[in-house]
Amino acid sequence: MVKSSPPPKWYERLRRYGRALRDILYGMTTYEMVRDLQKERARLEHLFVLITMGDMLGIPILPPYYSLRLLPYVVPCIEGWRCCLLRERDLTDLTDFET
Amino acid sequence: MNAITVLIISLIGIGVGYFLYARSIDRSIIRPDGSKTTPAKMFMDGVDFTPANRNVLFGYQFKSVAALGPIVGPIVAVRWGWLPALLWIILGTMFIGWVQDYGSIMVGVREEGQTFGALSFRLISRRARTILLLFIYAYLLLLMAAFGKIVGFDLMTNPAVPLGVLLVMALGMAAGHMTYKLKMDILVTTGIIVVLAFVGIWLGTVESVKNLFVAINGGATSPVLFGSVTWAQFLWSLVVLVLCYLGATLPIWRWAQPINYVAFWIVFLGILGGTIGLVLWHPAIPADFPALSSFDGKLGDLKALGPLWPLLFVTIACGAISGWHSLVSSSGTSRQLELETDALYVGGGAMFLEMFLAVLSLLCAAVGVGYDKYVALVGKGANAGVFANGLAAFLSKIGVPVSFGLPYGAVFLTLMALTIMYLCVRFMRVASAEFLGDAVPVIRNTAVGTIVALALSALLIWTGFWSYVWILFGAANQLMASLALLIISLWLKSKGKNYLWAFVPFIFMFITSIAALLTTAYQVIDANVKGGLPIDKVIGNWIAGGLAIFLSLAALVLAWDAIRALARPAEIPKPAQA
Repeated sequence: MVKSSPPPKWYERLRRYGRALRDILYGMTTYEMVRDLQKERARLEHLFVLITMGDMLGIPILPPYYSLRLLPYVVPCIEGWRCCLLRERDLTDLTDFET
Repeated sequence: MNAITVLIISLIGIGVGYFLYARSIDRSIIRPDGSKTTPAKMFMDGVDFTPANRNVLFGYQFKSVAALGPIVGPIVAVRWGWLPALLWIILGTMFIGWVQDYGSIMVGVREEGQTFGALSFRLISRRARTILLLFIYAYLLLLMAAFGKIVGFDLMTNPAVPLGVLLVMALGMAAGHMTYKLKMDILVTTGIIVVLAFVGIWLGTVESVKNLFVAINGGATSPVLFGSVTWAQFLWSLVVLVLCYLGATLPIWRWAQPINYVAFWIVFLGILGGTIGLVLWHPAIPADFPALSSFDGKLGDLKALGPLWPLLFVTIACGAISGWHSLVSSSGTSRQLELETDALYVGGGAMFLEMFLAVLSLLCAAVGVGYDKYVALVGKGANAGVFANGLAAFLSKIGVPVSFGLPYGAVFLTLMALTIMYLCVRFMRVASAEFLGDAVPVIRNTAVGTIVALALSALLIWTGFWSYVWILFGAANQLMASLALLIISLWLKSKGKNYLWAFVPFIFMFITSIAALLTTAYQVIDANVKGGLPIDKVIGNWIAGGLAIFLSLAALVLAWDAIRALARPAEIPKPAQA
């Protein structure tokens, strides 16, 4: 089997610049839309965790039986949920986090 | 001087500012460490804290900070001559602008993603946070007035513009529907919608459509409705406010987000085409356009604006330094930074790119329009029209007819303004609910909060002198920038680092902003005392004067707190645990 030679350096560099340009354009256009969707999903997820696992923060909501059944599925987002819920916010947060 | 020489000087400014000065500060004082965990990784929650690639973040930062400010500011500032405006854009960015943007990101990163509200509370004083919020509210109100006047009084009263704007908005909503409901590919959606948007802008230039809008405007010379406000100005500013209401109350995915997305392509293609046209044309700045007109900003038959210092330095805010950047940098970018070492590229780099946009805008006025036309347009109150004319001249060099380029430039500016205005109203609504919600519970209602914000904006739009409103808007913006520079200085001092590179710009910006506010307050009150103004302008002047004095007093309280905060000893580093 003939081993193909690696692409020339200039070609690699050009590809790198092309990728950077694509990323910059993405940051200017759809990145914000993607973030908004992620935020929307996270908000719903956090609400769900609050309803089901609220007793972790001292809010008794569901009988522990159901919480325990759901626990394995909720474990991955508990850390983020706690950080997000307990963090102090003020108006200056809104410059990024539109209402 | 040739326009290309001006661009080369700007590029040299970027080279020296970014690669020599900024990089040396970054390496010798801040010393970012790529191996340190940033808040984006430490507190990753998928909402606020999410690490992002440096190039993506660069694009996000640039898009968030570059709006109408770097375009309109230089167009107004050339009334002092193009040279002082150019020097302030380049030197302001080199020594102050990037310091603020980069410093805000680094403070946010090193302080676990805390925003400026929390930092001003901790580093300056309890009331500093309230003062910051007051600056923000005043800034947003003045922004609404300045942009609302540009769009409602100037751009939309041109009969070739409204149809294009309204169609682009409708297409933006269609783009949202195609993306989110019909799940169509974003590239296909973009292609279809952007082509249709250009067709929509062209439709606006058709003679019968223009005649229809002339009729709606009440004829070629629109009748005066009250004070000096014509029917067309009243109608279109009201339409702008209604659009803002929809943008502020509808779900973000339904209105603001997809319209902003479509508007981005209109603006991006305009800037790209304009730059290529300018480079191909490479004209000299006309000899009759003065490098330095006069110290009081009197150009030809135009009324004097006021003294070069301090007014020039607030007239061009975005493009040299702008307080809004610090809020975006601290509460948005610093929480998405993957590596500390990316901060200079993202914060500093985006600021220097914005500087380039401001220089292009300056060339639009000086080269694209020229002296006689500039004086004629500004004399008619068509400040934004200067940019549309300049852009049309640049685009004509790549084959775009002026008959299309002119309304295209106007639609471009209108969309740029509107995309910011929705977000401002959203922010003002929440701010008023926060400030007054306990005392006046009804203001927490979305519709009521939005209408209050729009009513305040309408009052300034229908009464204020645009040039004074613009200067006040710049001054409020620069006061926020001063506060950001103060927080950066105090943070550096608390860490025992050299803070003069942020503190000296703070002193300059603080004194300049207060001087600009007091000068404007004097000008508007003096004009009222002399008399002879229509009633709307008298009311507008009193409001502008009151706002200027209020902001100056708030800034002086802040200065007092700053002096006390500076006198505090630096934090003593904790000894390492054994």
